[in-house]
Amino acid sequence: MWQVLKSVLAAFFGVQKDQQRKKDFEEGRPTAFIIVGLLMALVLVVGIFLLATTAAE
Amino acid sequence: MRNLAGVVAAIGGSVWLTRSALADGWNMPLGVTDVSRDIHGLHMTIFWICVVIGIVVFGVMFYSLFRYRRSKGAKSAHFHENTTVEVVWTAIPLLILVGMALPATATLKEMYDAEDADLDVMVTGQQWRWHYEYLGEDVSFISNMSTPRDQIDGAAAKGENYLLEVDQPLVLPVDRKVRFLLTSDDVVHSWWVPDLAVKQDAIPGFVNENWVRIEEPGTYRGQCTELCGRNHGFMPVVVEAVPPEEFDTWLAERKQAAAREASGVDREWGMDELMTRGQKVYESVCASCHQVDGSGNPPVFPALANNPALMEERDRHIATVINGVSGAPMPAFSSTLSPVEIAAVVTYERNAWGNETGDIVQPSEIQSQLE
Ligand code: HEC
Ligand SMILES: [Cu+2]
Repeated sequence: MWQVLKSVLAAFFGVQKDQQRKKDFEEGRPTAFIIVGLLMALVLVVGIFLLATTAAE
Repeated sequence: MRNLAGVVAAIGGSVWLTRSALADGWNMPLGVTDVSRDIHGLHMTIFWICVVIGIVVFGVMFYSLFRYRRSKGAKSAHFHENTTVEVVWTAIPLLILVGMALPATATLKEMYDAEDADLDVMVTGQQWRWHYEYLGEDVSFISNMSTPRDQIDGAAAKGENYLLEVDQPLVLPVDRKVRFLLTSDDVVHSWWVPDLAVKQDAIPGFVNENWVRIEEPGTYRGQCTELCGRNHGFMPVVVEAVPPEEFDTWLAERKQAAAREASGVDREWGMDELMTRGQKVYESVCASCHQVDGSGNPPVFPALANNPALMEERDRHIATVINGVSGAPMPAFSSTLSPVEIAAVVTYERNAWGNETGDIVQPSEIQSQLE
């Protein structure tokens, strides 16, 4: 699970080790990546929203 | 060593060239408001960041091309990935972008804070002129371009403020917060005055806000900056910023004139005064579409001279000017012209250019139709 989160964050940043990418494709389950990916997208949006509202005050 | 001197000379030369181009008026103006100076500062900061990035990136590139050229026996390295380098070249742009976004957002916040204004001005775009209304003051007028036709046609030498001059400028006080409410009667226009750092779309059915606090008296010129039809290039903006006391005097005079105008509705007007007044209104407001001699520009802009059908129908003539023609470029003038002006212009059209109806339209008649 920790590894899935790390890979998703690496994808958000846009840089990933080739070795890790291969491992993810061989061992990981797609659904896990999709769910964590959607969750992190939500966290990003909410985070930006909170940052913007606090900065606006 | 010689190479290094060349590189330094090239960089120095381009910086010098850039600086002199900026000083020669190629740059955006510093402007005369707090916000305009902030925007200028942002623009320059970001510009120099780009210059530095450009010099570094192209410097490294050209240096590598030159230093590791094949004739010197350079061999290309083959490697697939380097996570550290990738992280670095993602993180640095991220930091630069965030660094630029912070001051930009602060300026945007200031620009959007149109609250607590001392004066509200409604700015309405129309094909092809601006209409200004000082809200709550009963003062409003149309501002037309005043550049003579023969300068545009190349028959006369161009004046100093060619295409950037109007018959009635927007007069504003300095040192007061003025809020603009921008909208349009027909298509999208955009009200732009570089020295005030205001560039705001005027959109039919919407009201956009912007504001200024001008710091120096002076004349500031701008243009419509959203392509809005045939005469888009002929609807300039001129702002005349004056000291607050002078502005108050000016506004009081305009109010009195508006009151006199309103009282003109009650009295009976003679043919001659209506014709004189009507010609003025016609030439400043209607002639851009219907032409000075009433010949129009058929099929889009109908002729008003040699138009017997129209001369038969006095009521339709009046109604067209009051209500406009929806779906066609003929604007409604019920809110932009006074009853006296509408009466005068209709009287003029019915008796000029060989139209000899002898009809007189009284301002009181227009007034009762407007109610
Ligand atoms: C932006 C261009 C424009 C301006 C400015 C303009 N008109 Fe028009 N006008 C038109 C167009 C286009 C029509 C034809 C509308 C239609 O399709 O019936 C028209 C039609 C008319 C008609 C009806 C003509 C007919 O034969 O049915 C009258 C009268 C008229 N305009 C008067 C005026 C007056 C008075 C003014 C100035 C106060 C004025 N117009 C300003 C574009 C303009
Ligand atoms: Cu326009």
